[in-house]
Amino acid sequence: MSLAFLFLPLPKTQAAGPATNTPADWMLEATNHLGRWIWDTNSFDKQTVRFWRAFEIPAGAKISRANLRLTVDNGYTLFLDGAQIGRGSDWRTVSEYDLTQLLDPGHHVLEVEAFNDRLEGGLIVGMEIEMPGRPVIQIVSDTDWKIVPDKGKGRWVWPKKEAPDWRHAVVVGVLQTPPWIDWPRGLAIVPPLQPVIVHFWQRGWFQLSLLTVCLLALLFSLWLATQLASQAKAQKVLQVERIRIARDIHDDLGAQLTQLLLLGEVAQREQPEDSPARGQFTQICDRARELAQAMDEVVWAVNARRDTIRDFTSYVCKYAQLYLSATSIRCRLDVEPEIPATAFDLSVRRNLFLAVKEALNNAAKHSQADELFLRIFRRDHKLCVAVEDNGRGFDSAQTGGDRNGLTNMAQRMAEIDGTCDVSSQPGGGCLVVFTVPLPHERRRWFRRKTEATTDAPPVDFSQTGL
Amino acid sequence: MKSNVAALSAVTRPSVKVVLVEDKPGVRESWVKLINSLPGFTCVQTCVSGEDALRVIPSLNPDVVLMDIFLPRMSGIECTARLKLQMPKIQILMLTAVEDDELVFMALQAGADGYLLKRTKPDDLKAAMLDVLGGGAPMTSEIARRVVESFRRATKQALPDVRLSAREEEVLILLSKGYSNKEIASQLEIGTETVGSHLKHIYEKMHVRSRAEAVARYMTGKA
Repeated sequence: MSLAFLFLPLPKTQAAGPATNTPADWMLEATNHLGRWIWDTNSFDKQTVRFWRAFEIPAGAKISRANLRLTVDNGYTLFLDGAQIGRGSDWRTVSEYDLTQLLDPGHHVLEVEAFNDRLEGGLIVGMEIEMPGRPVIQIVSDTDWKIVPDKGKGRWVWPKKEAPDWRHAVVVGVLQTPPWIDWPRGLAIVPPLQPVIVHFWQRGWFQLSLLTVCLLALLFSLWLATQLASQAKAQKVLQVERIRIARDIHDDLGAQLTQLLLLGEVAQREQPEDSPARGQFTQICDRARELAQAMDEVVWAVNARRDTIRDFTSYVCKYAQLYLSATSIRCRLDVEPEIPATAFDLSVRRNLFLAVKEALNNAAKHSQADELFLRIFRRDHKLCVAVEDNGRGFDSAQTGGDRNGLTNMAQRMAEIDGTCDVSSQPGGGCLVVFTVPLPHERRRWFRRKTEATTDAPPVDFSQTGL
Repeated sequence: MKSNVAALSAVTRPSVKVVLVEDKPGVRESWVKLINSLPGFTCVQTCVSGEDALRVIPSLNPDVVLMDIFLPRMSGIECTARLKLQMPKIQILMLTAVEDDELVFMALQAGADGYLLKRTKPDDLKAAMLDVLGGGAPMTSEIARRVVESFRRATKQALPDVRLSAREEEVLILLSKGYSNKEIASQLEIGTETVGSHLKHIYEKMHVRSRAEAVARYMTGKA
């Protein structure tokens, strides 16, 4: 401790009395704000004493200024509410801490871990908390401070509550009395302390739960990815299967049907013009043609290579032209140019095709029209197919259940989340509009990929030959 | 027997010389009989493959070639492209079992003059052959739509100088809307033959435009 003093400790009675010296100006002031030197009952070298003092700031109080001055012979670590806010080892100056921002209304604990190197040890501290409209709270070093016993070794934690077995600190001297007669002198002002704001994301529990969430998300997406992969695989297998079936029908049945048809034609021509057998051969050939046509339809429906809007469009147009060519209705096409090869599910295109077929059939049977427009276009991310004739029309309000075709069409469209609007007036023709939602763009790249893989098989087609 | 009759009629008026390229024996025989049964047509040769056709056809110089699209090894489309390079005037009709627009369009780009479904009635086969021989160019509305699109795309890319004239595009658009050649003629107040010659020109432009591409696609890789 002190370099220059080797005094005996003062009797305690004397220490309790007020300071009688005549100090310098700052000393006077300091005297007013600091308490007395306090320490544990015993003082020895290499001693650590833990001082503990609780105080209350009334609720609703606004702190305008809070100052704490202290020094310890020989050194200290200062804690507020368990958090270290300062330390010092130069006992000959008083350190001033600005705690204005650290304090708020409520219960607080001030703790000082004091260390005495040699001979006498002492702590002297004074804190003032100024609140507008309220009395100043003054806490100084006195016998209200408690000594926290050091129980065993290991990690030491500042207790939050006072225990009954704690000793009171004892006053070992007054300012300006031996052995601290000339010291401390001078004031070291510590820059104002800012509360350390620990944001919730900096806290351990948060980081841990974030990590857990991330891990869970990762696991979940991995699981999803495997699911997707297996689904994509299944989809691919299905597509490959469909292409195979289409090819099988096309190659085996189709080739043989063509041969049959050709044989029939040849046989027919080898019969005399007017023989009954020739007529029968003609019939056989006609049936075979119809069969081939029907088979084409099946192959088209099954073949995964045909799962695009563009293909659907061209198929429906061709069908309408072929179908109406046998009637007195002229077929007009009005197709949006550059229809993309967007994926179009089997069930959608099949139902839509059958519905259009039904509409064409109705027109051919009932309309007595001489012109029919088939319009295909996209609108608001929907595909619209309109069948419009200039026939005699009907009262759409009064058709009721007698037109089975209309119910069929509506049902087919409902199955694929589409709509079917029929509007007609007697003498004003008939307009049937089918609308189906187009698949989302997002799925397109995915489909395009699978499409690309299914695009390979044309080679197989050509190799099997027809 | 039948071919004798056809040969006899060839004496009186020149018979149309037809070559058939088809790999399946049964189908081939039936086709030969059918062709020979048509008055004024003679099947002078059959080829079992594209390679065979390339070897035989130039020396025969037939009027019409009926070409199966699906042939083993060299496809009918490739064979068509090669034949047209050697003999630009030859008329080639593709035979397909099913209408595959993609393939038909490829064939037309490769230089084919038309296509027929294999289940086409013999009378229609005859009509189609007479049509191409008479300078016509049959085109369905579906193919017309694709042709318009392909030319528009090519224009966007500012590719070669072969472009459709306004009239040709008009014809194609009407055709794609389902109008027949006759209806187009009356709509545009031109003769039906003029419509046919427009279509022929469109075909030719398509061939010219795709030739470089076709040569690259069909020859370089395999020749």
